[in-house]
Amino acid sequence: MAEITTVPFGPQHPVLPEPVHLDLELKDEKVVRAIPSIGYVHRGLEKLVEKRDFKQFTFVAERVCGICSFGHGWGYVKAVEGLMGIEVPRRASYLRTLWHELSRVHSHLLWLGLAADAMGFESLFMTAWRLRETVLDLFEETTGGRVIFSVCKVGGVRRDLTGAMMKEIEDKLKGMRKEFRAMSDIFLHDGTIQSRLAGIGVLSLQDARDFGCLGPMARASGLPLDYRCADDEGAYKDLHFRPVTEQAGDCLARVKVRLEEIEQSIDLILGCLENMPEGPVEVPVKGFPPAGEYFTRVEQPRGEAVYYVKGNGTKNLERFRLRTPTNGNLPGLVKILQGCDLADVPNIILTIDPCISCCER
Amino acid sequence: MSYLSFMKQALGNLFKKPATSPYPLQPKTFEEGVRGHVENDSSRCILCGMCMRTCPAGAITVDRKTGLWRLDPFSCVQCAACVENCPKKCLSMKPEYTAPALKKEAVELQVVLPAAPAKPALAGKGPAKAAPAAPAAAATAGATGSQVVNDVSRCICCGMCQRNCPAGAITVNLRERTWRIDLASCVNCDTCITNCPRKCLSLGSYAGSPAEVTLHVPRPKVNKAPAQKGNPDA
Repeated sequence: MAEITTVPFGPQHPVLPEPVHLDLELKDEKVVRAIPSIGYVHRGLEKLVEKRDFKQFTFVAERVCGICSFGHGWGYVKAVEGLMGIEVPRRASYLRTLWHELSRVHSHLLWLGLAADAMGFESLFMTAWRLRETVLDLFEETTGGRVIFSVCKVGGVRRDLTGAMMKEIEDKLKGMRKEFRAMSDIFLHDGTIQSRLAGIGVLSLQDARDFGCLGPMARASGLPLDYRCADDEGAYKDLHFRPVTEQAGDCLARVKVRLEEIEQSIDLILGCLENMPEGPVEVPVKGFPPAGEYFTRVEQPRGEAVYYVKGNGTKNLERFRLRTPTNGNLPGLVKILQGCDLADVPNIILTIDPCISCCER
Repeated sequence: MSYLSFMKQALGNLFKKPATSPYPLQPKTFEEGVRGHVENDSSRCILCGMCMRTCPAGAITVDRKTGLWRLDPFSCVQCAACVENCPKKCLSMKPEYTAPALKKEAVELQVVLPAAPAKPALAGKGPAKAAPAAPAAAATAGATGSQVVNDVSRCICCGMCQRNCPAGAITVNLRERTWRIDLASCVNCDTCITNCPRKCLSLGSYAGSPAEVTLHVPRPKVNKAPAQKGNPDA
């Protein structure tokens, strides 16, 4: 019988974009137990809500994470709008949906690149990131920023899209789609990728439910959890949104879900552009958030995030709380790491798309 | 399932133009609306301090005493909140990113405020305190002055000026029907004048150089007394 050896994984590791530490207890080459620990990028952003007024905090909320920045801005303003009873114009909701879906495309492309990089497929990594550059350029043009957009504000959005911009988004996305499908084929059919991902890190439907998994991780196990189905504010209802699911629950299924979601997001963006309502993009906001509580949700690229705000009638909110999808996916990760090979650990960790700076705030 | 399926794309990439640009040789071109850096047209700046108060990063400091407007570009997060809230629209967002620097130096601008009787002498405080309710007749509205004066005959004490004042210089008391301006804090930004729904505020000058002026706002005359509900003493 082999003895149990503990191997530290992270916080600095070539496959990890952000610091998370795992103690892997190994018996020979098999993982017996994985103990995660976080706390390397905690910045205390939630506490800052007491120091910045509710309008200024939109910019702080966006900076919780660089990849899901739009979603965090949206979630925060949605919660404040709910607390203050503000109804945003329809055009603003459509624009928010559009930018949110664009950021999902960029987030998933970034992740696909990282996944290819984790298994040493460098040229595929470059291809995915080159495609992502198209989306970042669109962001720069329409919002003024490549990563942090600062377009969401309490009461609407700060920028409108002109006809020329909408045409350009449409053209670029349609052009991108061809290249994306060529890349998608490689992810789905290449032998190297199949042998690294298929049948690895299987999470059953029951486990996904029991461990409270969220987002693409739950959907890859056949659990159709997607807040966009229930979202009233965005344009999802008008666009007849249906979540993407896969049944296998392994690493490859998680890749497939994300590939499919990129296609779906492009469809949603094109739908938004086609049905874009006319009208104002913001309503004036008077007064301060009243005393009371409100909570709302947003489907981030990594899963459902929960936003809670508590007002006290002053310009500063009393409390802001954010629960992020990675937080919910960590127990599932610990489960699927049990019994896997040490060589597969990097791939498995990456397929949950960990976003540690969101998780720790 | 096939191996080397990427070969076709990889070979194709050899004959494609590079996706990146050779940066220092070919400078980046920016689109119109890109948020690169903040610029201040100091000739129009009135040092009202609105940018300092709205900045979520605390990157801007405004010192009215020394006339210094200071931006720390290393704290600035390019959110453009200052540009949106500038009452004089002297701040603007330029698309170019700032050049890399060896030292963390702040951008400092010396703003020269128009020479005006706006700055009340300290001696003016005495008489103003002794007679807090300066008579309305002392104020003369005219294009030449640079102090905010109130035509109390039209004022309704709605408080819009107080709510919009970036410096918090105006206090409106509806119960006592007084309108008070702290001329030492007033930054002459005209925000109250543009937001006044009754157009009773204008630029003018007060006799002497009071530090603050309190005006009594008379109750509006009621023409049809029987038709009005309440307010019998009006």
